[in-house]
Amino acid sequence: MRRPLVLVWMTVWVVSSIAASGTAAASAVSTADAVRFLNQATFGATSADLAHASALGFSAWIDEQQRMPPTVYSGFAYVAPKAPANCTADPTAPTSAASVCHRDNYTLFKVRRQMLQHAVTAKDQLRQRVAYALSQFFVVSGVVIPTAYGMADFQNVLLQDAFGSYRQLIEDVTLSPVMGRYLDMVNNDKANAAKGTSPNENYARELLQLFSIGLVKLNPDGTVVTDSSGQPVPTYDQEVIEEYATLFTGWTYPPLPGATSKFPNPQNYDGRMVAFDSHHDTSAKTLLNGAVIPGGQSAAADLKAGLDLIANHPNAGPFLSRQLIQQLVTSNPSAAYVQRVAAVFANDGKGTRGNLAAVVRAVLLDPEARGDTPSSALEGHLKDPALYMVSLARALSASTDGVGLASATQSMGEPIFTAPTVFNFYPPTYALPGTSVNAPEFFLYDDASAIARANAVDRLLRGGWAADASVAGATGTQVSLGGITGTTPAAVVDAAGMLLLHGPVPTATRSLVANAVAAVPATDPTGRARTAVQLLALSGAFQVVR
Amino acid sequence: MDRRSFLTALGTLAGTAAWSPWTHAASAGDYKALVAVFLYGGNDANNTLVPLDATRYAQYAAARGPLALAQSSLLPLVDASGSAHYGLHPALGGAAGLQGLWDSARLAMVANVGPLVVPTTRAQVLANSVPLPVNLYSHIDQQHAWESAEAGGGATTGWGGRLLDQISALNSAAVVPPLVSLAGTNLYLTAQATRSLALPVTGNYGLNGFGSSTADVVRRATLSQLLGVDRGATLVGAADDALQGAIASTASIGPILSASTASVDAAFTGLSGSFAAQLGRVARLIEARASLGVRRQVFLVSLGSFDTHTDQLATQQALYSELGAGLGAFHAAMDGLGVGNAVTSFTFSDFSRTLKPNSTGGTDHAWGGHHLVAGGAVRGRSVYGTFPSLVLGGADDAGSEGRWVPTTAPDQYAATLGAWMGLSTASLAAAFPHLAQYATPTLGFV
Repeated sequence: MRRPLVLVWMTVWVVSSIAASGTAAASAVSTADAVRFLNQATFGATSADLAHASALGFSAWIDEQQRMPPTVYSGFAYVAPKAPANCTADPTAPTSAASVCHRDNYTLFKVRRQMLQHAVTAKDQLRQRVAYALSQFFVVSGVVIPTAYGMADFQNVLLQDAFGSYRQLIEDVTLSPVMGRYLDMVNNDKANAAKGTSPNENYARELLQLFSIGLVKLNPDGTVVTDSSGQPVPTYDQEVIEEYATLFTGWTYPPLPGATSKFPNPQNYDGRMVAFDSHHDTSAKTLLNGAVIPGGQSAAADLKAGLDLIANHPNAGPFLSRQLIQQLVTSNPSAAYVQRVAAVFANDGKGTRGNLAAVVRAVLLDPEARGDTPSSALEGHLKDPALYMVSLARALSASTDGVGLASATQSMGEPIFTAPTVFNFYPPTYALPGTSVNAPEFFLYDDASAIARANAVDRLLRGGWAADASVAGATGTQVSLGGITGTTPAAVVDAAGMLLLHGPVPTATRSLVANAVAAVPATDPTGRARTAVQLLALSGAFQVVR
Repeated sequence: MDRRSFLTALGTLAGTAAWSPWTHAASAGDYKALVAVFLYGGNDANNTLVPLDATRYAQYAAARGPLALAQSSLLPLVDASGSAHYGLHPALGGAAGLQGLWDSARLAMVANVGPLVVPTTRAQVLANSVPLPVNLYSHIDQQHAWESAEAGGGATTGWGGRLLDQISALNSAAVVPPLVSLAGTNLYLTAQATRSLALPVTGNYGLNGFGSSTADVVRRATLSQLLGVDRGATLVGAADDALQGAIASTASIGPILSASTASVDAAFTGLSGSFAAQLGRVARLIEARASLGVRRQVFLVSLGSFDTHTDQLATQQALYSELGAGLGAFHAAMDGLGVGNAVTSFTFSDFSRTLKPNSTGGTDHAWGGHHLVAGGAVRGRSVYGTFPSLVLGGADDAGSEGRWVPTTAPDQYAATLGAWMGLSTASLAAAFPHLAQYATPTLGFV
């Protein structure tokens, strides 16, 4: 009795999917789930995206996003490592030509402003969001790389590779001269007995610990492998670090156009690092899990073998998958969720390992991410400062050049692309004090940052940021509160709620906020709108993506 | 202006030649504070403190190669017997810096401190016969080991927090958490009994845009109510609590941070940068201790970029200038406030670095290192602990690159400071559960 019914349903579903995918899929997407989906896949759901994603369905929306050409950082060019005299900052004349030249070329001012402008307005939202997530995994920092064109080059690599192959991504990151400078693979020379020096261990250690496999062996579901006494099993020891340090010798900056290449070349962040085998340690190397690569190989051949071992290590899938889930969906994914995504990392269904487009799709379409309501009280993650400010700007249809938003995130302790160390602004393992609840972004949400966040909202809602005349094409950052109106205080709250939460405001919140709106004279509709938006924006319901 | 002339100037200002910070210190009342100075990235302590005798200096120079400091450049640390066995990195010194503190017996050095699960020797490391700190040589893990005095991993509290948990009765009148970071969230200040505060290094600390109109007053009250209603989801509640807690502290803390006080500002004249700014704010909070109702405090400040895999000499020179001048100014400010004997600062760091240099003018991650403790209560002009043999592959090397197996654990270092703060032997044992395995649980440097 039941079997024919299932077949009929299946037939209808298949036929309608094939026939008119837009309308057929639309019926399968609830508004509540679409809001959740877009808050995970973009820098914040907007009414327009909601309509579009609902019409397309999630899978087709992802297809469309992954096919879009990347919105990249543009307008950057090589500059000499040391700023010339006519390009140095003068604190007493911040808008002089020399100061502006310095700001635009020797600080990350322009890179940050483009990042935020793109995050607010670019069509390729999924790529922007994933590249931003990757920038918090493959960390390079303005602390060491304040050079705008270099940072723009590096972030463009992440944008270009966001939906490509993992193996390609780690090679592109490894051979980036920006990463080379940041973690000292550039100009890393083989051991020199006369000078008493050893190869530099920095890139070897952080590539393994932070960018690829981590410190301890993982099960396919991301949980830690333990030995017979319950202790975690290390993935490598100090000797493996020293062997990888020798593997990453012999590379220097790409030569400047027209210059003769030598070891070391002068600093140049355009292009990939180049190898000099005369500076490469050619001994045989014992790497991960006892794998030995033979002596006598070139720097490039050693690098290929060393990266192949990393990309094929069983940890690579669960390690990256869990952190991508944490960035996009939830701080505390179940082991089963990690395992399902890691399985797609291992094999995208067509036999390819490390297909990042498929991995991102799996993160977003997983049953644990989907549904009208979160599956547990633990689900979700706090918006980091950039996601918070951009999602608020998007909800309020802001026009922005990114300048004010960049200063806002900086005030919250997150100067974009300038993490204090390679461990990023916040560690993925951070837990709420006294608990085992993972809450990475809370590491950055301290007292100072929380107050700064509230004050940034206040500023955005009170005129925003005026255009900075020293910035080419400046528009400033403004939002319009004009559409947030209602004949009663509660109606004003509902209008604000529709923009920020895209759904009904919870009852207790609604009545509290309406009370505050009612205290503002009805003759001040902007004040009423600002009150409703500010209070909702500061509430946990908007601060946390769930 | 050096410290001594600064103090003289203060005396003149006070209008009495007999005025002295040392007698004035008695009026500190029952107040004590620790100021933890985190040297982020792993400070190469091999160039912080260098032996001056011919044999050991020669060993040092041979292994250090291009990173060796010239013997003549080192600042001699003359001890109570009149001899100088060790020299300090020149950038740390000056009369207003660490050498001034040393000469006035307010600076002690503690040699070769680092995380240990159990007391450990080189032979045991090579034989793999004892448990080693989890993820040795990893920044974040060794930071956590220092912050928690728990080298075995999995710590959920820090020893700064546990220390105040043990003496929480002394802070019963506190109107704000007595654990204060100027360096962001940190495990070190995570306690069982109280939350910590993490305050801004610059700028005002308070909510903007709330005036005295009726609408503003209602909006402000509503915000606090709103942050209490949504308790269903864990992280939503946590976000609400974080903002609520921050707002609650602004009324008492905000005016203190914004105030400019002559006594503190004079000490920091001429210093710029985040480190001096952090210490300046700590000084102001200590000055205002009575209004906050606190009697025992732990502060955290930080100085970064010690991860000198490259270009170490220049980087360390710049960082040590900030460190030495900042601490010198801070303790001068404490003297000026009459709490010179009530405030003790000390360093910790992820780890020290390899004695053997790498190929890019730097050094790589290592293990035990030397640390400094400063303040009027310190039993200074002395090097505590056991200085390692500076021989690659020698008696104290965990391998062959000069990674010293520690001879003192953070537990002992911390317990010494804890005892000074007033923890009983039983309280120390509770705060530092691994302390009993060390023959000298406390080192007596303060």
